[in-house]
Amino acid sequence: MPFRNVFDQALTVWSAIAAIVFFLVTIILLGAIARNRAKRRDTLPFQASKNTPLELGYVVALALIVGGLVYGSFLWNSRLHNGVGLAQAETAPATRINVTAYRWCWEFAYQAAPVHVTGECSTGDFPTVVVPAGQPVEFDLTSADVVHAFWLPDFAAKRDAYPDHVNTLRMVFPQQGRWRGRCSEYCGTHHMTMDFYVQVVSPEQYQQFLHSAGTGV
Amino acid sequence: MTATADRPVPLEVEPGRHAQPGSIVGWLASTDHKRIGLLTLGTALVLMLVAGGLALTIRGQLAQPQLHVLTTDRYDQFFTIHGSLMIYMVMTPFAIGMGLYLVPLQIGAPNVAAPRTTMFSYWLYVTGAVVMLSGFFTGSGAADHGWYAYPPLATSRYTPGQGVELWIVGVALAGLGMLIMAGTVLWTVLLKRAPGMTMLRLPVFSWSIVASNLMVIGAFPALLAAVGILAVGRVRPDLFTHNEWNIGYQDVFWFFGHPVVYVMFFPYVGAIAEVLATFAGRKFFGYKFFVISQLLFAALSMSVWGHHMFTTGQSSNYYFSLTSIALVIPAGIEYFDMLATLVGGRLRFPTAMCFALAFIPQFLIGGLTGIMSGTPALDYQIQDSYFLVGHWHYTLAAGSLFGLFAGVYFWFPKATGRMLREGLGKVHFWLWFIGTNLTFLPMFWLGFHGMPRRIPTYLPSDGFTTENLISSIGAALLGLGAMVFILNVAESLGRPRFADPDPWEGHTLEWATSSPPPTFNFSARYPVPPVHSYAPLLDLRKEREQAQLGVR
Repeated sequence: MPFRNVFDQALTVWSAIAAIVFFLVTIILLGAIARNRAKRRDTLPFQASKNTPLELGYVVALALIVGGLVYGSFLWNSRLHNGVGLAQAETAPATRINVTAYRWCWEFAYQAAPVHVTGECSTGDFPTVVVPAGQPVEFDLTSADVVHAFWLPDFAAKRDAYPDHVNTLRMVFPQQGRWRGRCSEYCGTHHMTMDFYVQVVSPEQYQQFLHSAGTGV
Repeated sequence: MTATADRPVPLEVEPGRHAQPGSIVGWLASTDHKRIGLLTLGTALVLMLVAGGLALTIRGQLAQPQLHVLTTDRYDQFFTIHGSLMIYMVMTPFAIGMGLYLVPLQIGAPNVAAPRTTMFSYWLYVTGAVVMLSGFFTGSGAADHGWYAYPPLATSRYTPGQGVELWIVGVALAGLGMLIMAGTVLWTVLLKRAPGMTMLRLPVFSWSIVASNLMVIGAFPALLAAVGILAVGRVRPDLFTHNEWNIGYQDVFWFFGHPVVYVMFFPYVGAIAEVLATFAGRKFFGYKFFVISQLLFAALSMSVWGHHMFTTGQSSNYYFSLTSIALVIPAGIEYFDMLATLVGGRLRFPTAMCFALAFIPQFLIGGLTGIMSGTPALDYQIQDSYFLVGHWHYTLAAGSLFGLFAGVYFWFPKATGRMLREGLGKVHFWLWFIGTNLTFLPMFWLGFHGMPRRIPTYLPSDGFTTENLISSIGAALLGLGAMVFILNVAESLGRPRFADPDPWEGHTLEWATSSPPPTFNFSARYPVPPVHSYAPLLDLRKEREQAQLGVR
């Protein structure tokens, strides 16, 4: 799960940094509240209202931290877009699926075979898109009407679907299973029920699925 | 140097009494910045109650799975108007209105520049708010396209009702009003300062208004352009079958949409800086760095809009991640200065100080989760989920709203001449401190577990129930706290305890005049004191203490 892996790694590192900063600030704050009560003190702990060398040094330290954060952000971004476990940007994977979002459901059309999947989301008939495990998959996302978003929460993957524009989302699903996808860009009355499922099967089953024109998985 | 030597001496007015007849016309046609300011602040507080009522209804519906307090369409109108009111009609006007009320006082000016134009800007704002809300009385209801109104959804093809048209007109009027008001206040700071009040002696709050109003001037024209694009979409929806109109709208809108977040933040941080310094009994630490950081913040804010658009696939991830994360530098400086002021202070804890202290860790959560959403690899999960709802409520509600109430409790005696009750204030504070965190903390987990924003309900099988219930309980505490605040204001009006000119041992010029101040702010009885730093009253107090020691 490249998206998930990158997400988990980034979230762990960022959360650790956030936790350190949060506790540092909170401890200084609580310490000041406890020690500097007017009842306990007659004079100020210190008089100075500036300390230019200290503040300049702090700004330099902040700039270094920002450098590190930006490096991390760039690194994870490039991993997602051309990296580990994914096909290189210039080679298109064998499994390419045209995804058309519309108010209020999804249509999946396989480019390798005349297979279409759709449903009636608002009545609970959610479409299921079948993909092979362990192989790169490309979703070519577009919309027939307003802006929608293709979201797989369990894989930390999301891309918007626009009319008159195609966004490509390449990912690898390492395990077999069935996961829910949702529309996450508000699109009107039945936005809430605009769900779909991703069914990840073995490559053999996937070929069977394509040959049987979308039945029997 | 005598500060008042060459100024005309305004009429003497008795403290505690209105300079003009307290008639309705006296208020509605006033050219006094204090009255226009109070009208703006009062209107914003009333609209906050309306927006809060909408939010409580939303939280009521989400408290348990599959509740139907509202129909889906009504629910969509409620979250749209909740967000639109809070952003366009409450937090922004309150921020700019605080500047209008306080800046002339803080810089020793008798009035705002161009007072009639300023009054006009208030009328634009209040008309805009009424027009937007009137959507509820049309057949199809109020606008229901969300507060950022993306086309093609907001075009007449997909959202046909008049509510959207009223929303467009309302936002345009209020946006134009705020642009004008920010302009006249900025003009006042730049050209109407008292003798001795150099730019580097402006109080921290006034500086935050300078930075904030500069952003308004830079960004609000883009809002007017964006709602212009939406107006085209009401007449010619076919244009929006072309991608460039849709993505173009998003770029123009967020060019306004990010700076406005800081317009809803700086004045509150400025208020908090004043409150912290006053109740720490010392000069605010690191004044110059704080000023520079605000200007840097304002400049950077104009270059980060694309981080709202990482998932569009039509934005530059690298550039906008770099500029967004760079915001850590000015934010870090502000935190350093606030903490240093506390570490070097002798602290008192009235209600205003409690709100200011709680702001520090709460806004920090908003800021740290902001670094996460500024990282594309994380934003792909966070965007449009409840994590993001949690993130910006930590900045705007747990952050700016706490700054707003710190300011209200701090300056209420100055503006009204009456003290608020400390006991009720503390009850309000604790209800809000607990309520805010109960409401917004669970939203981070909801987002990670896959709850999209703007859904009217959910299923028991989704696994969202516990977090949503906690969040709704928190929201109920917030509602209760708001009622305690209203009671507090009612008490101060019904059974007044009158305020001295300087009830808190303040640092800045507004505390040198009566509460409430006379028509032209300062008078022969309350002259503008000499200004030698950004805390002139603190200087005077020290001089007096040293003189007494000398006598002994």
